[in-house]
Amino acid sequence: MGAELKGLGVGLTAAVGSVHVVAPAQPLPAWGKSTIGAAAEMERLKVAIAAVTQTLDELGTRSDATTAEIFEAMKMWLDDEGLLEIAQEHLDEGSDAAGAIGEAFNAFAVMFEGDAAFEERIADLQDLSRRVQASLAGISVGLDLPQTGQLVLVGEDFSPADTAQFTPAVVGVITRAGGPTSHTAIICRARGIAAVVSVADAGSLVDGASVLVDPVGDRVVVGGSLAEATKPLEFAVTDAESIIPVRANIGTAADAATAAATTANGVGLFRTELLYLSASSQPSIEQQTASYAEVLAAAPAGPIVVRTIDAGSDKPVPFLNMPHEENPSLGVRGFRLIVEHRQFIADQLTSLEAARKQTGREVWVMAPMIATVAEAAEFAELARSIGNFKVGIMIETPAISLQVDRLAGVVDFVSIGTNDLSQYLFAADRMNPALGALLNPWQPGLIRMLQKIGTDGNAAGISVGVCGESASDPAFAVVLAGLGMNSVSASPSQVNVVRNALASVTADKARAVAQAALSGVDAASAKAAALAELAR
Amino acid sequence: MAVFTGEVEVLDPIGMHARPAGQIVKLVKETGYDVVFIRDGEEPTKANSALRLMAMKVKTGEKFVVSVEVDDEATAMGVIAQIQEFLKG
Repeated sequence: MGAELKGLGVGLTAAVGSVHVVAPAQPLPAWGKSTIGAAAEMERLKVAIAAVTQTLDELGTRSDATTAEIFEAMKMWLDDEGLLEIAQEHLDEGSDAAGAIGEAFNAFAVMFEGDAAFEERIADLQDLSRRVQASLAGISVGLDLPQTGQLVLVGEDFSPADTAQFTPAVVGVITRAGGPTSHTAIICRARGIAAVVSVADAGSLVDGASVLVDPVGDRVVVGGSLAEATKPLEFAVTDAESIIPVRANIGTAADAATAAATTANGVGLFRTELLYLSASSQPSIEQQTASYAEVLAAAPAGPIVVRTIDAGSDKPVPFLNMPHEENPSLGVRGFRLIVEHRQFIADQLTSLEAARKQTGREVWVMAPMIATVAEAAEFAELARSIGNFKVGIMIETPAISLQVDRLAGVVDFVSIGTNDLSQYLFAADRMNPALGALLNPWQPGLIRMLQKIGTDGNAAGISVGVCGESASDPAFAVVLAGLGMNSVSASPSQVNVVRNALASVTADKARAVAQAALSGVDAASAKAAALAELAR
Repeated sequence: MAVFTGEVEVLDPIGMHARPAGQIVKLVKETGYDVVFIRDGEEPTKANSALRLMAMKVKTGEKFVVSVEVDDEATAMGVIAQIQEFLKG
């Protein structure tokens, strides 16, 4: 057997493929003065623009209609007379081709500034500028992956722009950085791509080597075969009731329909941001009601837990005019928006109440980013004055985690967002790929906090659920049940496997598994102890 | 050749954004006429560059003058009507 590299596994599917190392994006060379004259520079520029146009054509053919339309517009801008005129002026002043086109794109980016409708277009212009300059310098900016084959991508971490370029040939992903809640992990879990993240020795993997990506074993094996992959704990498919309900996390009507095809008991987290993040003005109450009614009608049978808007300056809603912040995850976000935008949150609840009446569904509402009992009480009062909801809050801050007992009589339920709770508990930025290992849900600090929330919630007569990524891991879901959680909510793709796990254990067994997990002094030993107890 | 003018109003709810600007420039290039957008108090903008048209940042409800250099008035009015159509959103 070849070398074994340890990391954090994502999902349950193993894969074998050949290593494709993705080098970090190379820096673009600095702009300079031309040594070959303006005419020759313009010729070089035209060749580079033609090459980028061809790349955009190829990207367009494998994109959905909306993205393809953006690529069409970008192609048109490459050939824009206004752009080329400005570039020509810079060439005439002695710039090289890269400097001339860079300055021309910057000129338009500056003209577009300060207008929400054009913000994304500025990013598109900068992307184009980068692509043309890279082509001039003969370096690559795209992943340029083949469509067929069995590739295991190896890189530092992958951005949304990178994952958008994944082709069907990508069967596995290995990252040196990034944690279980990184963008890479979330995308790979959703698409069923085998992934192991936080692999410290990923740099030792060489192009073309055959590797086994073994997420269940939290490892990568050089030269390994699928037969060597660690078997996931087999939870027999059963009709038995799960010991606690398993709900689904959704964001759109399409997600709701996908979830309805699973064994999900209702929805544990309906993220409402998608309705607003792309709107340039606030949708009317009628529009919001129609959107919500569509989702409620399509959702799986059972209660539907709706989270009110969870926006911040890193996820800005254009029409709320959110100022830039140095630390957006510690800033004005979630329920804190109520100070400036009370009417917006009230309108959202009004729309949800109308959609609830229209569809006859059971709707629970909860507010994100609550730090004090007073905030929880304020939200509960507002929500109860508007609609016939069960009312709750998200538990993401350590401050509210320690006061769940005081929520008795204030809210009906709480739902723990383990991704953000980990971020705030460990003071570890979810966006910083170097800190991924701290965000492992098996970290003893998190498990102890979850135990306290579960115990205090049960004593206070408050229903406690978990809707973070951690609940999508079937073994961890058993731990959560054993810690006193009353429900879990997972990605639609994981609902059935989590439900099977929770149907194949007794409540006593789950408590024993949770006790085993609590005995671990680090993430690896907590997980090993829990798995050993489960297998007993 | 003569210059004919007409007024258009931007009805698109996001203003003169990427799509209408692209449609207008495509039309101008296909016809080969000199088309210029004139807004009060500003330098006229030649309608041969989508980026320049977007940089005008014309908002919903704003009006501006389109001038077309062409032989006959009917053709000019046809071009202006088409541009108005693109600005309906």
